[in-house]
Amino acid sequence: MDELELLKKDWEKSTKKYPNLSKEDIYGVISKRSSSIVKWIFIISILEFILWTALSFFGDSNQVLEKIQTYDYGFIYYAVFVISYIVIFVFMYLFYNNYRNIAVTENTKVLMEQILKTRKTVKQYVIYNLSMMVLSIPMGVMMELSNNIETQTLLSDIESKGDNNLFIFYLIIIIVSILAIVVVVALFLGFYYLIYGLLLKRLKKNYKELKTISNLD
Amino acid sequence: MRQDIEHNFVELLQKHQNIVHKICRIYTDNDHAHNDLFQEISIQLWKAFPKFRGDSKFSTWMYRVGLNTAITLYRKSLRNIKSQPIESVAYKLSHEDYDDTKDQQLKLIYEAVKKLNDIDKGIIFLYLESKNYKEISDTLGISEVNARVRMNRIKTKLKTQLNA
Repeated sequence: MDELELLKKDWEKSTKKYPNLSKEDIYGVISKRSSSIVKWIFIISILEFILWTALSFFGDSNQVLEKIQTYDYGFIYYAVFVISYIVIFVFMYLFYNNYRNIAVTENTKVLMEQILKTRKTVKQYVIYNLSMMVLSIPMGVMMELSNNIETQTLLSDIESKGDNNLFIFYLIIIIVSILAIVVVVALFLGFYYLIYGLLLKRLKKNYKELKTISNLD
Repeated sequence: MRQDIEHNFVELLQKHQNIVHKICRIYTDNDHAHNDLFQEISIQLWKAFPKFRGDSKFSTWMYRVGLNTAITLYRKSLRNIKSQPIESVAYKLSHEDYDDTKDQQLKLIYEAVKKLNDIDKGIIFLYLESKNYKEISDTLGISEVNARVRMNRIKTKLKTQLNA
């Protein structure tokens, strides 16, 4: 007999052998908490929003703002602060909207796409924050060098001690800034890669499989 | 109101629980994992129940939510990955039907099915549940033709594995 027919026959016959949960058991089961990947993506994303918002609050104290406003081009920084808040809210709205659209009642392919879209928004948010951080390091250094009176005094001190000293000083600052950027970006990317990689490995594999099936003809 | 809905849901799930057990049987190797997946599917069904409009049969709707949970949403817990697969004693033929050759062959077929990927398991499962290609394609989001072609490939894959 054909293997599949044999299997089907046995499959239909084995129906009676499954456990039979009582209504009380089922009440107990549905009162438990879900541990689905969607729930995990939601929790991790919320933590990311909290982390990045907290970080921007941290660098955004009134003292710093007042100091910056006395600098040349200080208004640019002020505008960046305002824009960054608008961006956070836009991302939060997009994320919430994507999350709400995830429906387990859709077909498998659509469900997978909805989850990947939610994940993509958070990824874009992280990339946005990392780019802002990478940009802010050289900008901050440049601003301090050109505006801060104490730094100016230090610079003229260094210059007076030798011709090449100033060049070496700038070189060190550039190298330290680049190192700081590389370390920060590598740390964050490694962290995300690990978390989302583990969480979405199976989904991505299955999505690829479905796409292969869809491209059969 | 909510209590009524919950009561209604529990009654329906209790009546059709075999569908969930069967999905668990295809996708898991041991009791722990079976119970874990059963729980996750039940929770997802309950969460999605307000969206169930009754324009499809409850059992048809269960296939979709159940398979989506098994294929996409379910996260194997570490406990389940570590525990050893148990022999599928509960799934053996009943004593009066017992036939050693057939049983051995069936065991091998089940093992071959377990080795399929998640999507192919879903297709085989719906086939075993006597769903037509239209229903298989609607559930997974692929075309009917592709579902048919894939099913043929799965058959060949199983045959090759069994004759190896």
